[in-house]
Amino acid sequence: MTAMTTDLPLTSEKSPATVREATDRRRALMLLSPGVIWMTLFMLLPLGMVVYVSFWTQTTFAVNSTLTTASWERFLSSPTYLGAIGTTLRIWAIVLAATLLVGYPVALFIGLFVKNRTVQTALLVACVIPFWTSFLIRVIAWRPMLGTEGAINVILQKLGIISEPLTFLLFSEFSVLVGMTQIYCVFMVGPITFMIARIDESVIEAARDLGASFGTIFRRIVLPLSMPGVIVGAIFVSVMVLGEFATAASLSGRKVNLLGNIIVSQVGSLKWAFAAVAGVVLTIIITAVITLALRVVDLRKEM
Amino acid sequence: MLTLSGITRRYGDATALDGLSFTVPDDAYVSLLGASGSGKTTLLRLIAGFEEPDAGQIILDGVRLDGQPPHRRDIGFVFQNFALFPHLTVEENVAFGLKYRESNAVASAAEVAERTQAALELVGLEGFGHRGVGEISGGQRQRVALARTLVTEPRIVLLDEPLGALDANLRDRMCDELRAIRERLKVSFLHVTGSETEALTMGDTVAVLAGGRIVQSSGSRALFEAPLNASAAKHLNAWNILSGTVEKDKLRTNAGILPVPGSLSDGQSAQIALRFDRIDVSDAAQVPEGRHHFEARFLTGEFNGPTALSFFRTADGALVQVVDHLSSPRLPRLEEGRTYALHYRPEEVLLFEGAEG
Repeated sequence: MTAMTTDLPLTSEKSPATVREATDRRRALMLLSPGVIWMTLFMLLPLGMVVYVSFWTQTTFAVNSTLTTASWERFLSSPTYLGAIGTTLRIWAIVLAATLLVGYPVALFIGLFVKNRTVQTALLVACVIPFWTSFLIRVIAWRPMLGTEGAINVILQKLGIISEPLTFLLFSEFSVLVGMTQIYCVFMVGPITFMIARIDESVIEAARDLGASFGTIFRRIVLPLSMPGVIVGAIFVSVMVLGEFATAASLSGRKVNLLGNIIVSQVGSLKWAFAAVAGVVLTIIITAVITLALRVVDLRKEM
Repeated sequence: MLTLSGITRRYGDATALDGLSFTVPDDAYVSLLGASGSGKTTLLRLIAGFEEPDAGQIILDGVRLDGQPPHRRDIGFVFQNFALFPHLTVEENVAFGLKYRESNAVASAAEVAERTQAALELVGLEGFGHRGVGEISGGQRQRVALARTLVTEPRIVLLDEPLGALDANLRDRMCDELRAIRERLKVSFLHVTGSETEALTMGDTVAVLAGGRIVQSSGSRALFEAPLNASAAKHLNAWNILSGTVEKDKLRTNAGILPVPGSLSDGQSAQIALRFDRIDVSDAAQVPEGRHHFEARFLTGEFNGPTALSFFRTADGALVQVVDHLSSPRLPRLEEGRTYALHYRPEEVLLFEGAEG
């Protein structure tokens, strides 16, 4: 037997492991810093500023930094503004449900029934085609579709199904809902498709082999495994719909006032303090919605 | 009894299974041996109903299976990658088939729990029910997959390379356990593998799949000692196969002109098979009386524990393998590059008529 001696002289130098750990930590900090700096400068500071400004004193033509709760009191006691919160939440809930209802089957089809990866990608890209044109065009394109002389009314009249044009189609809450669902659906489809496509084919085959019908497999296997995608999609859609103002502005004929529209009009008339109050309220609502969504599914566990 | 007759399955231009016929008897352990790409997984998927054959019939206990969806076939399938439900615990995985199958679902929670526990005990996993499937080892996952299939009492269990993902020690242990579990349940297992040792160890009957057909199906000992054709012999990894043409009752091969048993007409193609462990080696001058021989150059040896494998190359390029059992060594000390006589008893030769498959 030969004995191997590994007696190295003890040195006071740092062990290689410590050095490596320090390097790793430095690299992590370097990767983190651009994001942290960006967020601090352009999100945290402005957010703090918005909260601060919401307590400034607003006069008809100017705003000064004397602190007061007057804007908050006016906002919270005005039926118009509280109504706007209600409208925003109602539109959000309906659009969220509609995008899920329209988007999930599409995602299920692309993720589960299309086996070819290339076709999957092509179909996902097809979902994004409307985004190749400007936001405004996408929204305004609904007018010739939904208007009283629009395609739907003309066709329905020609077919003799209706005699008078349907007026609720355009410049109503309905048209806002249709427009938003169309625009934001793809943000629901994407994440859900990715989650469903990640489900191992043999897991579904195993469930079939164990005697489960398609409905049962969907309920017990596919739906639970796609939940993280639903939550991510719901967060995307929520954040965008809650902050919306353009769709409502161009399709509602000023009948639908969202928090976003209030902010736009207040800023337009230089009511900074008041716009700030609406901004803070909107931020609180969005934070609450995201927190709620993350409660439903523990993304850390599922991803 | 599961009967397959005339099963054909094509993928585009490639034919995976070509008019295959095969029977799995009741209460038997059948292993299906095939090289990778031979269509053995396809065969299982056809039986389970994940795919349908282009032609042929699959009949289980007199009832035609093909055309029925997988969840109405009552067949157990153990996947190579286990295919456990990642979001469910061990217990929920095992209970899945009981609770959610379309017909005869077990409604009583107590019965589900009881049968789940029994299945977990059967595979030696009592106490693991509450673990997530990500929190257990590969061997334990294999057991969960098995328990999940067995708990629904399928009419036949298909195992797709069930031991492939396990390490060697665990594989040996699972081999014994699989056989023991099957004997207790009295259900037929059809076990697909690419390993001849696994196939021979596990199967009461071993079927060899080659060229889209079952080329032989016999008891493991009979198959190993007397393969019926060259394809079957090739899969056993224990036979040297030399093909050639007949000339005056001898076979001209690239190991030389060798005598063959029986008489064949001139010009006919034929192959002879010589078992690795039935060939002896000596100097060319010292071939014992009454033995056939041919000469070949020693290339290299391979030591693998209880046996040693020696590789020889004949002048015409045929590769010949010889196995020596180290508990009773019979080969002389071999020098690389030297030419030796490889000799064997005439009756050890198997003759297969026909060209190389």
